Amino acid sequence: MEMTRELLTLMGIDQERLALEWVSSAEGTRFAEIVTSFTEKVRKLGRSPLGVAA
Amino acid sequence: MNIDETVRKYQAYYCLDCGVCTGSCPVSRVLSTFSPRIIVEKALLELGDELLQDRELWSCLTCGRCFERCPTKINFPEFMRALREEASRLGTRPVLSHHGMLQIIMEMQCQGVHQNKVAWAREAGRIAERGDTFFFVGCMPYFEVIFRDIGVDSLSISRKVIQVLNAAGIVPVVNNEEACCGHDMLWNGRFDLFEKLAARNLDLIRQSGAKRVVFSCPEGYYTFLHHYPQYFGELGFEVIHFYDLVEQMLADGALKLQNGSGVTTYHDPCRLGRMAGIYESPRRILEKLPDTRFVEMERNRENAVCCGTSGWANCSTCSKQIQVERLREAEATGAKTLVTACPKCQIHLNCALGNMNLDLKIKDLITLIADGVSG
Repeated sequence: MEMTRELLTLMGIDQERLALEWVSSAEGTRFAEIVTSFTEKVRKLGRSPLGVAA
Repeated sequence: MNIDETVRKYQAYYCLDCGVCTGSCPVSRVLSTFSPRIIVEKALLELGDELLQDRELWSCLTCGRCFERCPTKINFPEFMRALREEASRLGTRPVLSHHGMLQIIMEMQCQGVHQNKVAWAREAGRIAERGDTFFFVGCMPYFEVIFRDIGVDSLSISRKVIQVLNAAGIVPVVNNEEACCGHDMLWNGRFDLFEKLAARNLDLIRQSGAKRVVFSCPEGYYTFLHHYPQYFGELGFEVIHFYDLVEQMLADGALKLQNGSGVTTYHDPCRLGRMAGIYESPRRILEKLPDTRFVEMERNRENAVCCGTSGWANCSTCSKQIQVERLREAEATGAKTLVTACPKCQIHLNCALGNMNLDLKIKDLITLIADGVSG
């Protein structure tokens, strides 16, 4: 995780776009919450620098 | 280019079927199913589909030992590269090392990201935005993160290049937007991505106003020297290897070597040796280091063996076997330090050394030069 973060920094990609969470199969509600909040967060961060091909 | 065109372009029909290629191939030695001679033969016998779907297409190290010895001079590495391009176009892929992480980094660089990879350079020494000398850093900042766990400090090579250049009064241009040189994409059969990376680099270097570009990595050096002009024509700047500069600086007295390193031996990288023809300058530098006794390994110069894997693909137990043999060969010379001249050789040989009990250290030549520099 730490390594991926470092690599993303080198690539010029916001670290906020990376998350790792462990969710058990019994925690459906928690899974939904995490995905919803992460999706919201990424949406606020705006367009990714990827896919804006030079 | 389909197989017929590839056969014609590289004149593979001159094959004498002598088998010197397979006899010289480091992979064939450890993997009996792999044979350059059979690959050429299949291409000649129009067994194209079989050939292009064969996993062995990606086992070739493209090290050029076969080409060096081929009596009819069939350029097997380039022939292989053309076959890979065709295989890749048809959707065949090699088994990517490190879960394809390095290829993903290269692909992302083709998609308009703005890298942030030179913070270390400002700490290492003086660098410039524009100037005569451009230092092409290459993948080193990424290797530094990815291969830290096997104890390889790749970026120290780049730091030392900047320090040695500074010591000689040169302030190099180092740029965040520099992309991967495209070497691995080229040899992975992804010409489309190579082209994008190369075009980005050429734009960047031309804009910097540089008259010469200095390389510490043999792969970047050879790709710029050979493949960039092949596909993009005249570059408009000089391509030089750091060792040439070091030799020049030693001759001018701008650089003095002080500390030696005991008994050392040297591993020729394929891109620097067989492909770019640089065998002697690293040896001359090693011989100039005081308190250093330089000894040759049995397989040296054009007979040197590859470090076991290339293009971050098809790393296997065969790669490991090649590396283990090479390290034992180095130890047998009595050397305590094995000097490498390519960051990938350093990574691959260190990976194997970690599981061996040898009284041997691996050190990059640039680190050795910088350790031996006085004022």
